[in-house]
Amino acid sequence: MLNFGRGLFGALAVLISQAALADVKIGFQAPLTGLAATDGKSSKIAAEIAIDDLNAAGGVLGQKFELVTYDDQAKSDQAIFTANKLVGDDGVKFAISGSYSAAGRAAAPIFQKAGVVFISSYGVHPDITKAGDYCFRLVRLGPPQGRAAAYFIADKLKLKKASVISMDNDYGEATLQGFLGDAEKNGIKVVNKYNYSLQDRQFGPIVAGVKRDDPEVIYATGYFFTAGPLVAQLRAGGVKAPIVGSQAFDSGKFIEIAGAAAEGVYVIDGFDRYRKDSKLEHFTAEFQKRAGYPPEGVAAEVYSSFDILADAMKRTGSLDPVKVRDTLAATKDFPMLNETLGGFNKLHEVVMPATVDVVKDGKFVHFSTIEDAKVLAPPEE
Amino acid sequence: MFYVDLAISGIVFGCMYALMAVGLTLVYGMLRILHIAHAAVFALGAYVTVLVANASGSILIGFIAALIATPLCGVAIYRLLYQPLLHYRPDVPMIASIGLLVLMQDGFRILFGEQGVTFLKNPLAIETVDIAGITLNLAQIAVLIVTIIIFLALHLFTTQTRIGVAWRATVSNPRIAASFGVDAIRVRYLNFAIGSALAGVAGGLIALLNNFVDPTIGYVVSYKALAIIVLGGLGSVRGTLIASLFLGVIESYGTIFIGSYLNRDAIAFLALILILMARPQGFTGARTA
Repeated sequence: MLNFGRGLFGALAVLISQAALADVKIGFQAPLTGLAATDGKSSKIAAEIAIDDLNAAGGVLGQKFELVTYDDQAKSDQAIFTANKLVGDDGVKFAISGSYSAAGRAAAPIFQKAGVVFISSYGVHPDITKAGDYCFRLVRLGPPQGRAAAYFIADKLKLKKASVISMDNDYGEATLQGFLGDAEKNGIKVVNKYNYSLQDRQFGPIVAGVKRDDPEVIYATGYFFTAGPLVAQLRAGGVKAPIVGSQAFDSGKFIEIAGAAAEGVYVIDGFDRYRKDSKLEHFTAEFQKRAGYPPEGVAAEVYSSFDILADAMKRTGSLDPVKVRDTLAATKDFPMLNETLGGFNKLHEVVMPATVDVVKDGKFVHFSTIEDAKVLAPPEE
Repeated sequence: MFYVDLAISGIVFGCMYALMAVGLTLVYGMLRILHIAHAAVFALGAYVTVLVANASGSILIGFIAALIATPLCGVAIYRLLYQPLLHYRPDVPMIASIGLLVLMQDGFRILFGEQGVTFLKNPLAIETVDIAGITLNLAQIAVLIVTIIIFLALHLFTTQTRIGVAWRATVSNPRIAASFGVDAIRVRYLNFAIGSALAGVAGGLIALLNNFVDPTIGYVVSYKALAIIVLGGLGSVRGTLIASLFLGVIESYGTIFIGSYLNRDAIAFLALILILMARPQGFTGARTA
């Protein structure tokens, strides 16, 4: 009896210790230093909140989640190194990238080859999901974002004559191609195209060009650190036409930099941050507490990446990456923080409506929602 | 009007480059060091201007604070980083300088945040003046006026005062100047102080124009200012001024006419390569190392 009891106790102890040891590791890459450190910091905080929330809700299959974070500096070489480290040293079976395209694109083939389920939270380069069937993306690709902008300008704003200002990175180029491809179809005449580098903060010549174009509307891609000065300088130069910005305008810092000039700027695929939703409200409050500033689209996308992955694990009832991958691919109508995800297409690209925000009284507020499935359709190959 | 608008944009770029690059070319002329960390001094000027202006409520006080902080920083860089390394090959202090730039950039990020800082109140970037159909914002006007005043003052200083003449002599030929009894060490300190103050003012002005300072603000200027001093003929102040304005205007027109193929930085470097192919000694053909 004593032996049996001891044996049982021993077995239990082994089980408990194994459970304690075998936390589910989620590999996480984010640009904590370097040019993209702003988004990296937001990503990391969002990831930590997600892990805390998931563990507070009981983890998955009796196990807790453990976050393994590396700095990829938003650079491809560094992302390859950290992805190999996650696969080789840490032995993760699930990974999330809270980083830019260059890094996600370099890491994706490594995770694919190792059979690691990989979600890029907001990296928009098409190659990320083309790496293979283990790779997913939770943000809309550049081309449908650009198409949505063309549709919005023609259909909602009823404007026809546009100047286009684009940043010269993967995201800017891809979004621009989507816009230009659909502009003509929507009856929009593109008077002029301008291109700028991500390091640029001085747009005098572009402002002069836009003044000469005298467009009815301006479509621009950019991050807050370029979009803020760009919008301020356009308005200071006397340009009055409405400005439609790409998703990456969506940052409180954009409004801070552009000040009054930000008023009335539309943001395609913005983050509807004041929506009544208990999960969103909890996240916003927690993020504000930890970061000292309110969350942005990037943070919401990273949080939802963890959420949707954990949901797939629970529905699978197993931590086998192959099974989790298939369950994740079949996800339908999942409530993310920014939008309800309709599902993934064949390439594991998101199918979901697009929110358009407008800046009003120094805040991003919901303006309209684009639901046209054809406009928003992600590429199938 | 369009072409005038473009020219003004270009001249504003040129003024910023000139304020940045003159300090760099002076250090090179005197010590044969490529002072890469000058870009960090520029960033420091931008940060100090914004932070002090926000704390005091006056942009002018912000500029005065930058004018105090940046020369101190420049002199400290000379004394603590370059002076101990002067007897090594010139690439040794240059590498140390790159290291300092990276360190200071990350320092700004850690101290003042990844998201950068903005003026709480910056009417200069918003308010505009119409002069004969040309719209200029007050920040652009401030850049033009401040740059003209600074270079006039610098000209008077280097031609009318004893220390100024000694400085000029040392930059153009350190050995002969020393043989005439010029205190080379004192002149070096002066050199770093003035060069850094110019970069500090440039930083503050850029902050005004952009209404935004982030840790990487010095990044572009660091390599573009190097290109400008090469174009100007290393060590030549006059050449640097010409090269700055030239590059600014080329960039401005280039953005419009070839801007959908190349961005502003690419245009600048393309122009640089073409000019150096034709004139390897730069605009003024001053001595090279």
